Amino acid sequence: MEYLYDHYSAALLGVVSRIIKKEELAEEILQDVFLKIWDRIDSYDASKGKLFTWMLNIARNQAIDKTRSKEFTKSKKTDDIENLVGKVDRKDYTELHVEGIGLQEVLKQLPDEQRFVIDQHYLKGYTQAEMSEEFNLPLGTVKTRMRLAMKELRTLLKIE
Amino acid sequence: MNVEAYISSGILEAYALGELTEQERVEVEKNLAQYPVLKQELALIEEAQERLLMKAGIQPRASVKANLFAAIDATKPAAKVVDLKKPDSSLSFWRMAAAASIALALITSYLAFNYWNKWKNTENSLTELIAQNQRIAQDYNTVNERLDNIEKDLKITNNPAFNRVVMKGTPNAPNSLASVYWNESTKEVYLSIQDMKQLTQENQYQLWAIIDGKPVDAGVFDGNFSGLLKMKDIQRGAATFAVTVEPRGGKTSPTLETMQVVGNVVKG
Repeated sequence: MEYLYDHYSAALLGVVSRIIKKEELAEEILQDVFLKIWDRIDSYDASKGKLFTWMLNIARNQAIDKTRSKEFTKSKKTDDIENLVGKVDRKDYTELHVEGIGLQEVLKQLPDEQRFVIDQHYLKGYTQAEMSEEFNLPLGTVKTRMRLAMKELRTLLKIE
Repeated sequence: MNVEAYISSGILEAYALGELTEQERVEVEKNLAQYPVLKQELALIEEAQERLLMKAGIQPRASVKANLFAAIDATKPAAKVVDLKKPDSSLSFWRMAAAASIALALITSYLAFNYWNKWKNTENSLTELIAQNQRIAQDYNTVNERLDNIEKDLKITNNPAFNRVVMKGTPNAPNSLASVYWNESTKEVYLSIQDMKQLTQENQYQLWAIIDGKPVDAGVFDGNFSGLLKMKDIQRGAATFAVTVEPRGGKTSPTLETMQVVGNVVKG
């Protein structure tokens, strides 16, 4: 468990932080995420995907659930932070972000339209459906771009 | 299924991104199990996603880790207990109740059958014992009767008033042997067979007493009895007793050629 934490906490906090902008709240959720992982590690099925993907989904769902909870809605109002899930301006994000320097270099190599979907999804927390709605793009186009981007990333990240 | 088209549709990316509905997810997992190519493709997508997100990570503060492990330590022993107290345990209660009912029904049926079996066995043993008891009682009666007979016979054979006449085999039946006990004063005659061969159904033995040279009928008998057989009374003056083979029921005068045994009365 400690290994999992040391290895993946940063990546998962990155995911949570892009959905929940408040650092303290994000860290609180991160803790819940790891408690959940610890609780459910028995139900992880390696035939259905990588462990990281499994943990990623727990983290994302936990964060999204939080945005839907009353507590979050209230704090959103009082704190007057983002009124749309997944929207955060680049300044806030880089402030939070310390480890992502190499990332920017990788993303820069992607064609603009591909970088856009990766950006929106991984760094801003949009789902493909939300992107399609928000930016008036057909869902099929978003999916295709996402697919091409993922393929390109494989080459860039030297995965094969 | 066109695997190429399936991959191109971007559904595996959506799967890795966790953007599918439950139904779509199950569908994808089914296809993954069926087509190794899809699994391979998904692994590459996941790998890319993981690398990307690892690069995009944000290091949490050290206090988060400390809090987390403190929380884990705290829940460790209590985790399972808390589980049992979940509010939606009403469903599991009914499940447990149903399971318990079924288990109880099964156990009860088994016990009922078991006891019925035992009761049946006991009943059988009891019937057997009663039958056995009756048999023993019968045997006892038989033995008792035979003992009575023997006692009665003994009184006769031991009674000095009875004269024993031993009848030995004639050349017709050299191995045959029988005795007559005759009380001259009371005229009673008893017959005892030591050895006489079995006769056919049509014939019977007939005992004769010879008085003043004339044969007197003393009754018929079959060759297969034990103890003493009471015969017809014989008047004073008999000198000889003899047995012939006659048609069933006997005759008024003996067929002397068939004489089996014969013996003279010894006055004593």
